Amino acid sequence: MTAVGEMIAEGQIGDRLWFYANYHCNLRCTYCLTESAPGVERREFGKDQMLERAREAKELGFTRLGVSGGEPFLLDYMPELVTSLGSELPTIVLSNATVFNKRRLKEIEPLADLPVHVQISLDHPEPEDNDEMRGPENFRKVMEAVPKLVERGIGVRIATTLEDPDAADPHEMERLCELHRAMGVPDEDHVVRPIINRGRAASNGMGVLAGFEQLEPELTLTADGAFYSPFGPTVRGGQLDTDLLVSRTTAPVREPAETLARIVANRPAGNDASIGIR
Amino acid sequence: MSSSVTQLPHAENGNRATASVVGLLDAQQAPILARPYYADGRPPSPITASLAQVPEILELTLPFVGRVLGPTAVDVRTKELVIVRTSALMECRYCVQTHTAVALDSGVSAEELRALRGEGEIEAVFTDPGELALLAWVDAVALGRGAVSEDVTARAKEAMGDPELVELTLVASATLMLNRYCSALGLPTSASTLSRLADEGLA
Repeated sequence: MTAVGEMIAEGQIGDRLWFYANYHCNLRCTYCLTESAPGVERREFGKDQMLERAREAKELGFTRLGVSGGEPFLLDYMPELVTSLGSELPTIVLSNATVFNKRRLKEIEPLADLPVHVQISLDHPEPEDNDEMRGPENFRKVMEAVPKLVERGIGVRIATTLEDPDAADPHEMERLCELHRAMGVPDEDHVVRPIINRGRAASNGMGVLAGFEQLEPELTLTADGAFYSPFGPTVRGGQLDTDLLVSRTTAPVREPAETLARIVANRPAGNDASIGIR
Repeated sequence: MSSSVTQLPHAENGNRATASVVGLLDAQQAPILARPYYADGRPPSPITASLAQVPEILELTLPFVGRVLGPTAVDVRTKELVIVRTSALMECRYCVQTHTAVALDSGVSAEELRALRGEGEIEAVFTDPGELALLAWVDAVALGRGAVSEDVTARAKEAMGDPELVELTLVASATLMLNRYCSALGLPTSASTLSRLADEGLA
């Protein structure tokens, strides 16, 4: 086993390798970490690059993959890529679920036979509350898309992002859970997480502070380099945040992985509080 | 003056103040590997703040540069003669200004600095044969192509042992690298250095 593999097995660094597939999005959410929106610089990582690095990550000892953005499914090759990634390792793809037209649904049908989950954001059980943060018609589109994925046997997780999960109205949460259950998504596939005070959320004065000391180390590869966490490669005022940058080098994956392992090994003890965001 | 020491023109070229071509990362944006270089609370040098853009390069480059240009068996004054002279030959505004201040603190006089910067006659200021041999060597290293001439090499070998010659050649070589880096990227000289140089009549 590689040194990185040993640290993964011991839980010192996360077992999932994350990719930022792109930065552009058809939505403009108020709390978006990456200031994603239509027309922003795409910063595509690249299909072949992601697949190559995923295969190397598997050899190093990573056991899971994650794909985020932007909206990954705005990229035409994403269904094929996720099929390939899911054939290598269990994979989760974060999506806003608003781009699953008939053609896209057909293209992702092979995911039903693979350990792949599509994680879809749904923040509130009422359309007006949800859409205030995520944009017009988002609620309706999610409510339409999730059953279509579930019907096809594709794994779906629902992610709810709130200003303060601990202060959430239990009645509202219950209504939201009733919704995802009704769509065929069980409670174990529903995650609730806080807004992180980075990117557009920081500009809007939202979310909890999260830095090096609060985040779990999960190697995250982007077109701009390798980061400490998927909450690292954020954008504010059009500028990429570099405070959680590990290296500009992303290949071979061993290099940023070993650097991350070294950073973790040297991290001061007693400051490992995790926000537990997935 | 020895014909081996190059006469510098009064070069305005390269001395203009510029804005940095690349982003200079502050403490809030410093990548994890760069943070030790920001730890003392003072603004990092623009070399550090620019290298922080590529932390895996920074963490190798800064220790190397610090070791080569910093205190070792060779005294700091001698190193600063090499650094200022090389930087003046390469017309690196940032390095000349910054190391003029460092050199003053290392025992190099204002008159010597003017000569190193091409604003005075080297042989009229420097009288030590060893230092003259070193400066001729530096000029050959910085400006030459191919091997250094036999004459300049013989004088350098007479003035210095092999370890010193190796180290000072590396000082000149590392300075050349930094000269091009700082000039190309337009790294800004700190306000405190510019003020100091003005006070010393070395602006």
